[in-house]
Parts: sequence; structure tokens; C-alpha cells
Amino acid sequence: MIEAVVLAFVAGGLVGVSRQLNGRLAVSTSALFASFCNHLVGFVLLTAIGLVIGGLLRDGAFSGPWYIYFGGPVGVVFVALSSWIIGQIGATRSTMLIIAGQVLGGVALDWVLTGKPVSLTALGGIVLIVAGVLVAQRQRGPAN
Amino acid sequence: MPARRIDLAANLAALAAGALLSLMVHLNGELARQGGALFSSWMAHGTGTVAALLVIPLWWKAIQRSGAPRAAIPLWAYLGGFAGAVTVIMTSTAVNSSLALSGTLALGLAGQIVFSLAADRWGLFGIARRRLRLGDAVALALIVAGSALVIWGSL
Repeated sequence: MIEAVVLAFVAGGLVGVSRQLNGRLAVSTSALFASFCNHLVGFVLLTAIGLVIGGLLRDGAFSGPWYIYFGGPVGVVFVALSSWIIGQIGATRSTMLIIAGQVLGGVALDWVLTGKPVSLTALGGIVLIVAGVLVAQRQRGPAN
Repeated sequence: MPARRIDLAANLAALAAGALLSLMVHLNGELARQGGALFSSWMAHGTGTVAALLVIPLWWKAIQRSGAPRAAIPLWAYLGGFAGAVTVIMTSTAVNSSLALSGTLALGLAGQIVFSLAADRWGLFGIARRRLRLGDAVALALIVAGSALVIWGSL
């Protein structure tokens, strides 16, 4: 259990490390180039892992509907955006606004996909998130 | 562009990026159901590489213009994808423990926030150091509490 807790926490930290590294690369090159490198390096590593441990290609892996294979291109836009953002507003503000967008987007997506009404508790959460975004928007100032 | 406008653009872009992240997680999750977590991540990185190559005209000039000497870019700056790919493996392991999805997500968010606070405090990995204001702490608390409510209210 404690191993899983550490694993999940460190994985979250690595998300931040990845954003920081891509942001650094974007400063010297371009955000889309940083996103390209991110995907290429990840692809090479995952190919190597797949070759070593096997089981990369299961039966039926390619039989899903066409649109589920478009997570990659969406990810390219996501990494490019976040690599640019982090250089502008820093890590903490990037992280909290991305989380806000992710949760609000997730609620909207769930609503579109399942049509289930949003619960009152979730609605309260949405109000808090929007308030947080508005407070964040009022904070500004150059890096120091 | 004045600093205020760039701030607003970056804030809006961060919100949009978060929404895109939700869409990406959904699509990659469907793909993982079809072919497993490793296949899903491998495929997403592969199709992403191809997609980025298709839009080379959008970034090639920007790199030439940036004029930064290639040698000045530290090698580790290219390893963002390495950290990303390792993350996928770690989270798909944690999800299958007693933490389940909600526990893994919550701890992952905590890890992200703690790291980003440290990154701003010390200017880690060559990104400018930033002093946070009281308002940033208030905003962070509101967003974290709101996210917890949404996750709890959707269980």
C-alpha cells in the first residue's frame, strides 16, 4: 500500500518534471518542436519497453472505432500549449489552471457522453473552481 | 503584447489545455480498454509524433528564427517525453493497487502541486523562479477543494 502511495505521488511529480523540461526546450526552440521531441522520445522508450517485456500488440488492438486513435494528436496540442504556458505564468499557476480546465472539461465531457445530470455536490465544486480561476486571473506580475 | 495580455492569454490557454487533457485521457482510456495501457500510450506517442511531423511548416521557421545556439540547450531538456512515458507506467501500476483510480488521481494531483510549488520557489530545470502571491494560494485552495467536490459528487 505505502509503495503504491509513493508511486502515485511521484508519478504526479513526474508530470510536473515533464512539463518543466518541455517548457525549457520550448524557450530555446519552439513549443511545437518541444511537443514533437516529447512524443518521439516517449515513443522510442515505450517501443523498447514493449520489445523487452512483450505483450505490446494484443488481438483486437486495432479494431476500435477510428476516433479512439486520435488521443496522440490531441496530446501534441496539449504538450505544445503547456510548454508555452509554463514559461509565461510559471509552474504553480499553470498546474492549477490546467487542473481546473481538466475537471471542468471532464464534467462537460461526461455530461455529453452519458447525458447524466450533474449532481448538486459537483455543481458546488464547479462554482469553487470558477471562483478559483477568477482569483488566479487577478494575480499577475513578472517573474522575479 | 503587454504583460497583462500575455498573462490573460496564458491563463485561457491553460484552461483550454486542461480541457484537451480530459479529452485525451478519455480517448487513450478507450484505446487502453481495446489494447492495454502500454499499447495505448505507445500508440498515442506514435500517432503524436506523426501528427507533429505533419505540421513541421508551423514550427521549422520558429526554430531557425529563435537563433539559440543548439549547443546551449542542455541534453536533459529533451527528456520530457522520457518522464511522461515513465509516468504512464507508474500510474497504470498504482491504479491496479488498493488506491484504485480516485486514489491514484488524488495523489497524482498532490504530487503535481507539490512539485510545481518547489519548481517556482527554486526555478527548477531552467524555468524562471517565481514568487507566489497570497491570491495564488487562495486560488489553488479553491480549485483543489472544487476538484475534490466534483470527483466526490461524481462517484
